[in-house]
Amino acid sequence: MRRLLFFLIACMLLVSGCQKQHEENLKLRSQPELHFHVAALTGPLTLNPVLVRDSASAEVAALLHTTLLVTDPQTLTPLPRLITSWEYDREKLTYLFTLHPEAVWSDGTPITAEDVAFTMRVLSHPDYTGLLYLPLRYVLGAEEYKAGHTSELADGDIAGIRVIDEKTLSVTLKEPYAPFLSLLTFAPLPASHLSAVKVRDLEGHEFSLERPVTSGPYLLAEWNRDEYVHVRANPAYFLGKPALDNLYYRFIPNAETQLIELLAGKLDLVPTAVKVEDVAALRANPELKVYTNPRLVYDYIAINSKKADSPVGDKRVRSALAMLLDRKEVVDNILLGFADPLYGPLLPLHFAYDPALEKDNVDLAEARRLLVEAGCPQAELRLIFNAGNLVRENVALLFKEQAAKVGLDIRVSLLEWEAFLAAINEGDFDLAILGRGVEADPDLSYHWHSDGPGNTYGYSNEQVDALLEEAAALESAEERTRLYREAQRLIVEDVPAIFLYVRQAVHAATAELSGFIPHPENLFYNVHEWGLAGEGDK
Amino acid sequence: MRKILRRLTQTAAVLFGVSVVTFLTMHLAPGHPLQANPELRLDPTAVERWLKLRHLDEPLPAQYVAWLSRVLRGDFGESLLYNRPVLELIGERLPSTLLLTLTSFVIALLLAVAAGTYAARHRGSTFDRAVDLLSLGGISLPGFWLGIILILLFSYRYPVFPAVGMRTPGDGSLPDILQHMFLPLCVMVFGGFAHYVRHVRGAVLAVLGQDYVRAARSRGLTDRQILFLHVLPNAALPIVTIAALSLPMLFTGAMVAEQVFGWPGLGRFIVTSLLARDYPVIMTVNMYTGTLVAAANLLADLLYLLIDPRLRAEI
Repeated sequence: MRRLLFFLIACMLLVSGCQKQHEENLKLRSQPELHFHVAALTGPLTLNPVLVRDSASAEVAALLHTTLLVTDPQTLTPLPRLITSWEYDREKLTYLFTLHPEAVWSDGTPITAEDVAFTMRVLSHPDYTGLLYLPLRYVLGAEEYKAGHTSELADGDIAGIRVIDEKTLSVTLKEPYAPFLSLLTFAPLPASHLSAVKVRDLEGHEFSLERPVTSGPYLLAEWNRDEYVHVRANPAYFLGKPALDNLYYRFIPNAETQLIELLAGKLDLVPTAVKVEDVAALRANPELKVYTNPRLVYDYIAINSKKADSPVGDKRVRSALAMLLDRKEVVDNILLGFADPLYGPLLPLHFAYDPALEKDNVDLAEARRLLVEAGCPQAELRLIFNAGNLVRENVALLFKEQAAKVGLDIRVSLLEWEAFLAAINEGDFDLAILGRGVEADPDLSYHWHSDGPGNTYGYSNEQVDALLEEAAALESAEERTRLYREAQRLIVEDVPAIFLYVRQAVHAATAELSGFIPHPENLFYNVHEWGLAGEGDK
Repeated sequence: MRKILRRLTQTAAVLFGVSVVTFLTMHLAPGHPLQANPELRLDPTAVERWLKLRHLDEPLPAQYVAWLSRVLRGDFGESLLYNRPVLELIGERLPSTLLLTLTSFVIALLLAVAAGTYAARHRGSTFDRAVDLLSLGGISLPGFWLGIILILLFSYRYPVFPAVGMRTPGDGSLPDILQHMFLPLCVMVFGGFAHYVRHVRGAVLAVLGQDYVRAARSRGLTDRQILFLHVLPNAALPIVTIAALSLPMLFTGAMVAEQVFGWPGLGRFIVTSLLARDYPVIMTVNMYTGTLVAAANLLADLLYLLIDPRLRAEI
């Protein structure tokens, strides 16, 4: 009898439990999952955040991984992310970084200081072929590690990097370097999974291609090669689970089809490269919203002053070339206003930007005089740019037209991308229309210091070198601003290039999207805060 | 038997030639897959290291010999872009490509045989002229243009069919895939039909004028009997040739349609690899295409033997 009673009670409990489960299921079903579709021109090549070399891989990496720091979308100053706080000891040149206490990898283990230290060793390893070594150059012992580390693994120690405890890391610099924090925008790798993998094998490792262990707002659900990457919100993300439960990153190889899919409601966001000609029509559509933001990429006309027997070796000729284009006109007529004219190497987003420079000095008579004075009243110059870039094509034609007025014959040639790169690297041009990405910090040394790794055309000015070295070592933004403006003035005077414009990124999204903050460096900067206003009906 | 053996050695020699020429022209083209891109902040020493780790800094003859010896052992190498085995990359794109190309091939060929035969039998009729016009259009209209027009009409103006991709993310059921297939299929069937129908019509016309057809008619056979017993078997030879020679195309994908409609197939993959100077992929694709062309020729010859007893007697 007692046994029967016990059995009955057990049954009732079970039934009520099921009932509850059922109710919960119903509740879940009444709140359908949100799906969000983002367009991309190509698919990613790698899922490994430190081996990214193309924008699609960078964007997918930003969904799956979290960076140590981020930069403010407006001011570009470093903001906490995985590193929640830092202290700087000026005497010892040492940063003490604290990691977020709740940050965990997708396998559930905590993200530790050792992971960060390991990642920095990978970036400094001689076999590392990614893009992220440059900031590590300033860490004490990293250069020695790169030159002398003999093991194929990223083991051993870099003198300046020390793990204090699970969530604390200290990094000592070899010299004062103000931009350091703004360069810590890379994501760490999980040491426990990768420390036994040879650095040279990382690119082909399953971590990079199939089964990543990740730290970001989203978890990889499916990578359908050549079609889309499907990611699901990470419930354990330390900044809170993203509201958009499913995000699809769809590869659609042409921009027109992307727009058609957006208009058909099959895409929710076409990022970055919406054609400026389409903006007016998209703005008129009540179901869509257009976002714009300035970028950290500028277009310029490179001058190959190293090329033997080219008239552009003469500064007077270069000055004349710089007097031909009205940048405001270029921005208004060719880019329909979706750009800022640029007069020097500092960008409007940089804190050191100098508005005083904003002045077009179009002066054909003076240009002509300079050319005659330089002894080449009728030179012939080869101007190259990459095929398929209509904006650059129009700029090239405008430039040719203006140059003809002062007696210069510009031979425009349009090259396929790889051939274009080869021509640039071999110096087979007088002038080339190019784009250039810059860092968040106004430090100009990468491109303009005599020893800068990106100083491709051999620009060299001792005064500029001294100013840049001094500025990089200073902390005060005001002091640095003064020095950078001074350096910029000298650079512009030397006319090593003709600065053209900074294009805006133009994004088109469904009007329901909420919380999207366009960031100049990272499309998914705050993806964990995105939502859909008309929630549920998507 | 000896003939077949000779054919095979010939094929091997041709393939060797193809590999040498491909290798040379590929390296003649400017650039390499990881050129210092002026738009990126690349550490120049990283590029050197990358080339060294992949043996791309060695002299070309050494690279070629290394490639050949690996291929003879069945190793086609890894893609420089995707860092995965080339055969795997091709293999995973083959099914979606075949789905599109085979379907369109079968439909186009059936339509062409039916319409071409009918047009030939009713020479000069409105139908004949319509087929002529249609095939002229199919040959002269570029596929990408037609594709964009179809997208504008049926995905934008009247949104009935999806414009791009092979499936709705997260779906991928048969009806979903069929729906996505429709527009690219239209473009490809149209192009294929235009091409085949001319050959079919020509072949049937040639046979219709033969004495044995007239003789058959005078024997009182019905039109249907004449068509199936005398005309089609004799007109089949040129049709089979055309069909067999288009087989390699089935396996390399439809580059234009795949690009316009974002179809995840081999054609698109080949184009991107070519533009990115992905050497191992380019080499493998050319060898693969070369082998297919050789195999298709062989197949055509064998089919002749099957169809035409006269040729069988010659062996």
